[in-house]
Amino acid sequence: MKNRLRVLRAEKNWSQADLAERLEVSRQSVNAVETGKFDPSLPLAFKLARLFEMTIEEIFSDDGSS
Amino acid sequence: MWCTKSAAERRYLSRVLVSMTGYILATASVSWMFAHRHPQGAAVYLLALLPALPIFACIAILGIYLSAERDEFVRTILVKSSLWATGVVLAFATFWGFLQSYAPVIDRTLNFPMYWVFFVWWIAFGLAEPLVRRTYK
Repeated sequence: MKNRLRVLRAEKNWSQADLAERLEVSRQSVNAVETGKFDPSLPLAFKLARLFEMTIEEIFSDDGSS
Repeated sequence: MWCTKSAAERRYLSRVLVSMTGYILATASVSWMFAHRHPQGAAVYLLALLPALPIFACIAILGIYLSAERDEFVRTILVKSSLWATGVVLAFATFWGFLQSYAPVIDRTLNFPMYWVFFVWWIAFGLAEPLVRRTYK
């Protein structure tokens, strides 16, 4: 699944560690989601959406690979 | 392992430390009992159960940790590593079972007690964890 997390995070001037702290997950989790290697659960996706004040669809898009 | 430990992971590590300390104490006590007191009858079964109890606890502690860990990515890594370790232990135990049947000389020579499968599981888990993590990089 593709996502715009890296761009959104850069706009806020947050490091992966900053975002991880806000989400209460590890930095590795943020990295895995950001690189598209790990698809977050719905609760985590909603948490991200709330944090960036966007809808889930504005952050994540289905690349049709699965 | 991870740079920063979650509260669940810290609880898990301290609980494992306690259970492993219990295991060492139980093993030493039971070995001493069998070497010096030569227990008979039901006492043999009860004493054999004693060092297994901290191992049961350790398995439960891992289960509790998997439920308590709030970081879903970490949880995924742990679950996948556990599955790999379980697969390795099942494969190893199956192979060892056939060795016992068809090559009893090897079984007698190496003398591998079944309780070692728990440690084989942990070794496999320890090896699997960084490899599983690598797949997400």
